Amino acid sequence: MRITDLLSVAFGEIRANKLRSFFTLLGIIVSVAFLVAVVAIIQGMNAYVKENLAGAIVGTNAFQVRRSPIQIGLYDDEEMKRVARRPRINATDAAAVRLAIPDAQAIGLTTGFPTPRSDIAWRNREVGDILVFGVTPPYQEVQDYRFDAGGPLTETDLEQRRSVVVLGHEVAEKLFESVSPIGQDVRLGSEHFEVIGVVAAKGQVLGQSFDSFALIPFSRYEMLYGRRLTTTISVKMRDAKDVDNAMLRAEEAMRVAHHLRPGQENNFSLETAAALVNFWKQLTAVLFSVIPAVVAIGIVVGGIVIMNIMLMSVSERTREIGIRKAVGARSRDIERQFLAESVALAILGGLLGVVGGWAFAELVASVSPLPARITGWSVILAVTLGATVGVVFGVYPARRAARLDPITALRAE
Amino acid sequence: MSPHTDDVALSTTAERAAVVQAAGAQPDKDWVIVTRGLKREYDMGGEIVRALRGVDLAIRRNEYVAIMGPSGSGKSTFMNLIGCLDTPNAGEYWLSGELVSQKNDDELARVRNKEIGFVFQTFNLLPRASALHNVELPLVYAGIGSAERKERAMEALTKVQLDNRATHRPNELSGGQRQRVAIARALVNRPSILLADEPTGNLDSTTSEEIMKVFENLAETGQTVIMVTHEPDIAAHARRVVVLRDGLIASDERKENFTSKLGL
Repeated sequence: MRITDLLSVAFGEIRANKLRSFFTLLGIIVSVAFLVAVVAIIQGMNAYVKENLAGAIVGTNAFQVRRSPIQIGLYDDEEMKRVARRPRINATDAAAVRLAIPDAQAIGLTTGFPTPRSDIAWRNREVGDILVFGVTPPYQEVQDYRFDAGGPLTETDLEQRRSVVVLGHEVAEKLFESVSPIGQDVRLGSEHFEVIGVVAAKGQVLGQSFDSFALIPFSRYEMLYGRRLTTTISVKMRDAKDVDNAMLRAEEAMRVAHHLRPGQENNFSLETAAALVNFWKQLTAVLFSVIPAVVAIGIVVGGIVIMNIMLMSVSERTREIGIRKAVGARSRDIERQFLAESVALAILGGLLGVVGGWAFAELVASVSPLPARITGWSVILAVTLGATVGVVFGVYPARRAARLDPITALRAE
Repeated sequence: MSPHTDDVALSTTAERAAVVQAAGAQPDKDWVIVTRGLKREYDMGGEIVRALRGVDLAIRRNEYVAIMGPSGSGKSTFMNLIGCLDTPNAGEYWLSGELVSQKNDDELARVRNKEIGFVFQTFNLLPRASALHNVELPLVYAGIGSAERKERAMEALTKVQLDNRATHRPNELSGGQRQRVAIARALVNRPSILLADEPTGNLDSTTSEEIMKVFENLAETGQTVIMVTHEPDIAAHARRVVVLRDGLIASDERKENFTSKLGL
């Protein structure tokens, strides 16, 4: 029997029993849809973290030299103490890094922990609790800031320790509403600053706004708040492929600057957006290891349903099997026919599951900020799973059909 | 019983006796069916039922033979053996010069496909398939491509004057038409024998006559036909009548002798 004939019989049977086939497949459809939807949502979150969260903190093609590592979650005591013993990062370190990476697109400094929170006021309006950073102008380039209005802090602002400020999108919006913010006089705490720029919205990441900040010249900041415990050096390379090499050079320069002997542990941290993404990925890996177990249970139950229905189908079609054998079907032709049917059923279930999962993921994407990313491998996995289930749970009914004695089968009602 | 030499489609008693007695020898290809001492026993829960107790039968190409017998005579068992749906416990069965009594299941399936065309009392058509597709079925298992299949199935349907019903499903056809579709299916692979089991059992007498006419025509065009029936007036359409009783052949004679005895 030819493969095309096998398939045409298989799909003919499925078509003839549409509703029954659908209910037979419900288990597979739901399991696969769950798999595809959850994977799509997690992948979407991964992409979101990669593009928004990591980019917002570190910047793309960039890395940071920090005293303390970026960490999502809590430090344990041991690590806390170790980080607390680290020396601060100062101007000497920054100079060393600058010297080590002459090909950097931009190297900026930011005042580090603890970042002061301050109220900002304009006329009789006030916005509370915004983060105030002292930065050098290149930091704005590292962060890829786009400006809604005005422009960035300049080297002159830095040298002359001017009282000028660049505001985050959210702060400017709350403070000025429809008034143009450029040139306005605002008060940070008790100091007066002139607004010279408003950074375009970076958006919210998981409920945390990245637009609620004020940037002032690094020099002005130190006058105002005193020298902080540490600074963060942000380095941006022109190309993503240069980042690894630049990090090695920065690490070497920092080790020299901190007088570390070979074998001694780094007393500073190098962070990239990739490292942040990796951290997130570790988190999702846990999810990825739980999902297959859930899906496996669904698939096995779905497979048993298919087996059940196929057994029913064999006994319903006993006479058909007898007829086919009488006109020359071999046992293996009958076996293949029923196997083709269960495999076709299960693959169909897998495909319907993919469609269902995709639709669900799109629905989630449309009502929440999470984008859905359907990945090729989850679709391939779904179809492979379907085919495997069809074979595994189809073999027994198919064998039973093949073993039927033609004389008895022909006599069946 | 007198020998016949004028009728090519009817073997003589002497010829048959000669073929049947040459145990183990491969008969001439012209002998479509030769059985020698064919036995079949069933184990019915410890009790041995001897359905066939040594049947010797020879049928030459182009013969039109009816096999009769009361229920329990072993005619169904005999038909299953002739049709290669079953294998004997003892004895030889030669089909077209090939010893089929020792073949395995796959080989028997091939023999059924190529050499035998079945026509059943209950038609046994696939209910969801069109008439054309039902006729195609043996060709599907012969591994023939779709285009040639359709062409040959159409040809077979034309032979039974149902070419205008090719797309109809069995439930859209009358009993007589269904049986003609079944005959077309039996003929489509050009089998050595057409094996009919009570072909008119589910039909009224008018339709039965129609179907018998079809068999008649086929026999006249050279098709070997073997028909199992318990109705003497149906058997009377054949040219030779074999009667089974208690698992043995009770009589084997020309139709004329058979009918005159019955007073038909």
